Amino acid sequence: MEIKYTIQGLLVYTTIAAYLLALLVSILHRPRAGHILYVLGFVAAVVSFGYRWYHVRHVPMQNLFEVFLCLGMIYPVSLFCRRFLRVGGQSADMLIGAVVLVPAGFIFNANPQKLPPALQSWLFVPHVTVYVLSYIFMAKAAFHAVLQLAGKTPRTDENLLPPEEATYSMICVGFPLLTLGLVLGSVWGKRAWGDYWGWDPKELWSLASWLVYVGYLHFRYMSGKKNLRINSIWAIAGLVVIVVTLLWVNLSRFFLGLHSYGAAM
Amino acid sequence: MWTAMALIVLLFFLSVYGAFLGSRCAKEFFNGIPLAVYWVAFILLLVVGIFIFKRLLRVPALLLIHAGCIFILAGAIWGSGAGHEFRKNFFGIDKIPTGLMQIYEGRSDNRVILEDDKIRELPFYIKLRDFRLDHYKPDYLRILSRQGDSWMFPVEVDTDYSLGSEYGTIRIIRVFENFRINLEGDNRVVIDDTGPGFNPALEVQIQSPDGRIETRYVFERFPGHTHSEDELFLSYQRIISEYISELQVVREGEVVAEKDIQVNHPLHYGGYHFYQQDYDHQAGRFTILEVTSDSGLASVYAGYLMLCIGLCWHFWINKLSGEGRKI
Repeated sequence: MEIKYTIQGLLVYTTIAAYLLALLVSILHRPRAGHILYVLGFVAAVVSFGYRWYHVRHVPMQNLFEVFLCLGMIYPVSLFCRRFLRVGGQSADMLIGAVVLVPAGFIFNANPQKLPPALQSWLFVPHVTVYVLSYIFMAKAAFHAVLQLAGKTPRTDENLLPPEEATYSMICVGFPLLTLGLVLGSVWGKRAWGDYWGWDPKELWSLASWLVYVGYLHFRYMSGKKNLRINSIWAIAGLVVIVVTLLWVNLSRFFLGLHSYGAAM
Repeated sequence: MWTAMALIVLLFFLSVYGAFLGSRCAKEFFNGIPLAVYWVAFILLLVVGIFIFKRLLRVPALLLIHAGCIFILAGAIWGSGAGHEFRKNFFGIDKIPTGLMQIYEGRSDNRVILEDDKIRELPFYIKLRDFRLDHYKPDYLRILSRQGDSWMFPVEVDTDYSLGSEYGTIRIIRVFENFRINLEGDNRVVIDDTGPGFNPALEVQIQSPDGRIETRYVFERFPGHTHSEDELFLSYQRIISEYISELQVVREGEVVAEKDIQVNHPLHYGGYHFYQQDYDHQAGRFTILEVTSDSGLASVYAGYLMLCIGLCWHFWINKLSGEGRKI
């Protein structure tokens, strides 16, 4: 754990502070001020990402530090879910934004790296982008699943979906993105390494996380709304496997493989 | 439906188990007989499911998703080692599933070393015109003192860099692609050899604060090349940006195709893909290519396309129109 005394570090800490302040103000029933702070945090996150891009001279999605910077730009997803899908949880999004930036600010190594030949592909940006987006949607799905388990429901004047439906809605948006990430990675693997499926630990954990959501969708189709708690537990399990795929596989020595360059400790 | 759930859950646990095995063992595990039975059962279940559950036929997006999975699994089986063996025994189609080729610069070869170290021949030759490495610019000279101070300077000839009042200055005099020492009488002469091989190096001069000048050579491939009395440890750092093999396909003495292959840019010819896999790290005289058969690939990619279109259609278009909420 180290503090980054750099412009990059300052931008990350500013974003975390803005998100946490936005969360605090929102909890204190000042939604307008909370929203303004959330937008300011997002602006800081975008500047941080842009600064990194300028610094490393390629789209910064190479390692965990850069991927987590990207995950910190959560605001447009919040807005999209609220406006078009009637899914709330903006306060949780502020917390998610702050939490994902903590390892970027204090744990991951921020030393710039040149892109190795395998990463010099037009598939690099779409592959990582769809995965980042899907992870944000699945994190929101898990949050609403927790709300469902806790018996929380939105106020009637908010015009929001109940938690179980919100969970399903988030998975409906996130699952095609998760699939697209897996497929783009497979096509990229074929072009770079000669095989569209290398049985690499990262690939197998990605398949495992995809299968959890396949299972969720089939189970929900079978049981409908009879087993809301099991549906929610399934959605939370999905996020747990995603965290394993994103962090444990890249950082642990158990899983050395083709994706080890993604580590950033 | 419960059978489908059971197979999905089973595959989840098998994937997690496979992740702990490492890619080589996992590949053997998932291509073994028990798992072959599993894959065939999965395909059969998908086919039967499409006909039993009428909804899968009525909703085109759902049909695309499930048919896409069938195409992916069928293509993967068709392109596997067992699939190649099956076609050889029953249809007389004999293709090499996967292997490696080692080709020297200026030479042609058609021999492929298989995973079991057997050698097979392609019906055409691959000629390596040239192999080269590209590097990111600039290169760097890295300096570490015994006290733990460190410096990193871009390699620019005849530029002085300060090492502080304790160590003086350092200047890069010459850059070598292929450093050699020739003996001319009793003299040893340093040259940049244009012949085969590569030994990238720098000639540097360190001028200490008292005016003493010392000439040193720094080698990229031998970073530990220092003397025990040296106060400064120098290393020459270059970062590879690309490996490039200039290939020609030769059939009956005629060049029928050519391509400069790189990582992410393989050559496709005659039902095979040729990938940049490795190279001669000592002298850069040969390249190592990975050869893979393209059997089943079209089916896998068609399956990917169907799966992605089906999912976006079902979950995004139907969902946004409100229809998907019923599911």
